[in-house]
Amino acid sequence: MKPTTSSFFSTAWTIAWKDLQIEKHTRQIMSVMVMFSLVTVVMFNFALETNLDAARNVATGLLWATILLAGTLGLNRTMAVERENQAMDTLLMAPINRNAIYAGKVLSTTIFTLALELILVLLFIVFFNKPLWRPPVLLILFLGTIGYVAAGVLIASMSIQTRARDVLLPVLLLPLSLPLVLPAAMATAAYMFPQQPLFAEVQTPIMLIMLYDALMLTAGFTTYHYIVES
Amino acid sequence: MIKIEGLTKNYGTNPVLRGVNLHLQTGEFVTLVGNNGAGKTTLLRIIATLLSPTAGQVSVGGWALPKQSARVRQHLGMVSHQALLYGDLTAGENLTFFARLYELDNAEKRVERALKTVGLFARKRDTVASFSRGMVQRLTIARATLHEPEVLLLDEPYTGLDQDASHLLDDLLRRESENGRTILMITHDLTHGLNLCDRTVILNRGKIAYEVDSQSITPSQFLKIYTNHTRKK
Amino acid sequence: MNSTKLDRRITILNWTAVATMIINLAVVFLYAPPEKLMGNVQRIFYFHVGAAWVGAVAFFVALVAGILYLRKPDRKYDTIALASVEIGLIFLSMATVAGSVWGKPAWNTWWLWSPRLTMITVAWLTYAAYFMLRGAIEDEEKRGRFAAVYVIVAFLTIILTFLSVRLMRDIHPVLVGGMADSAKGAEQGLQEFEDGLATKMIISLNISVINFSVLFTAWLFNRIRLQHLNESVTALKMRLSNR
Repeated sequence: MKPTTSSFFSTAWTIAWKDLQIEKHTRQIMSVMVMFSLVTVVMFNFALETNLDAARNVATGLLWATILLAGTLGLNRTMAVERENQAMDTLLMAPINRNAIYAGKVLSTTIFTLALELILVLLFIVFFNKPLWRPPVLLILFLGTIGYVAAGVLIASMSIQTRARDVLLPVLLLPLSLPLVLPAAMATAAYMFPQQPLFAEVQTPIMLIMLYDALMLTAGFTTYHYIVES
Repeated sequence: MIKIEGLTKNYGTNPVLRGVNLHLQTGEFVTLVGNNGAGKTTLLRIIATLLSPTAGQVSVGGWALPKQSARVRQHLGMVSHQALLYGDLTAGENLTFFARLYELDNAEKRVERALKTVGLFARKRDTVASFSRGMVQRLTIARATLHEPEVLLLDEPYTGLDQDASHLLDDLLRRESENGRTILMITHDLTHGLNLCDRTVILNRGKIAYEVDSQSITPSQFLKIYTNHTRKK
Repeated sequence: MNSTKLDRRITILNWTAVATMIINLAVVFLYAPPEKLMGNVQRIFYFHVGAAWVGAVAFFVALVAGILYLRKPDRKYDTIALASVEIGLIFLSMATVAGSVWGKPAWNTWWLWSPRLTMITVAWLTYAAYFMLRGAIEDEEKRGRFAAVYVIVAFLTIILTFLSVRLMRDIHPVLVGGMADSAKGAEQGLQEFEDGLATKMIISLNISVINFSVLFTAWLFNRIRLQHLNESVTALKMRLSNR
């Protein structure tokens, strides 16, 4: 039986479905990520001495920082699920393409992160009075998430197999996501004025985000099997 | 069914397996015993396509490892002292997940039948985390045999089981053996499962030290032989 | 291992490095003319560029070694990658310190979040994390594999950062205006080569880059040899404890 394209996608979806199912029972990932984000936002408010103007000015940067930090918690959790009871061994013993495992994990983590972003966007609209509910902003969030999760699943699959386990992930992943935050925060910030920017103005950052997505996904698909197989 | 010739595995410069030769006929039940660090788990993981050998030939069902791992995988089932299940999924969801991974037809019926076989049908909707050790192990067997594998690999399956659960496991394993599956069990525990198997093999320091037909020897005789072969020099 | 042969080669390399370093020092301090605006402090620029050059080369060597390791898991590639990242990080730090010393008179500040410095910061953080990853893995073979994958992703990150800081300051003058100014300042050092005493300065810079390349090669081989010695000690210890 040769693995076909359709079985690649159905396997990836099966693995993502399993993660969603687990989340349906425990609600662990979403509650941890949302609580963490909430605390971070409130903490920043306090740190900025409840100076709402200052907070508003950094709101888009803060939004991305919160997503990335909360994202590491979600990534750690979705990877830990495979570590417990050595469930990963059964995935590796199954007659499936390793990249389908990677795709499945990217899919489920992306869904969790996007759900978190929806909540965060609403939160930021309420707290900082920012016009985040705009289709281009949501698109930027979506594109940025793909690249971040693509790199994140790859790195988390490594870090979870080390002695340091979950503490290592932010140290490894956050520097790698800096070239993503730079254009993403900038493109988001461009939409924070009553007047929407011309596409030409945000074209470069959006292209950079898409390039990041493409490169990290390529890296993930070409190297993932080196990480899970021995 | 399983052919191992001159198998060597090094971790760095540290040799774990040094030239293992082992053949398993189709339908045979072989138990591999040995002390900690003898290389049992490494051997099993190589057959399970989870590790690549450093040197030597390994083939399962005529397919060579690690080259044709992808082909071998659908004929393998594994039961370990680890549950190899998702604790936060229900028994039914766990089996459904594996049925989908293996792209089995009639997944629902198969899952139902498997749950009935191991006596867990009533607990289908309960999460595995709420199961006792013995129930988890039964579900593990249901999972490992869901796709009707020809080869069943057992990694210390008796660990953490009480008397009753052990007997239940004995029965399940005997049935799997009667179903014609080739079974390789590794254990460091000489008190369990030896009476089930056709052949017992002692692995010591990465080499096969002794092989015996299980029916031709009493447990106390075997214990003596085992101590002789695994004594530190 | 024929360690005597390796040792002899390393000795030759070491002495070559010492010789080129002496030549380089002489050239930088005696041959190169003082810069007209900044004076003698500008001479640190030669070391700064040399060190930064080695940093870039070292990370590239690490990338190649990483790819080779994944294709064929030979321990020597892992050793080369490790040695390269280590040396690259040290030279990058040296370049940063030297640049900072030079930046004080040039920009009147030690540090700016200019595109180039942003990139160096990202590179530094990324490659420093490489050691955290290695330190957390005991199994040698796994460590080599993970480190190789990481080094590839790290290099992608540097390329992406480079593109980000390069492309973006052009389109957002309001947001990154400060950066554009400072970048101009950074290029000043090179621009001044182009007029007046340019030729002598360019010759000095080239000698400096050659010297640092030799230095890098020497360091790399010394570091590889050190790793071999380290491994043989570990192997001997293992034999002792297995007795």
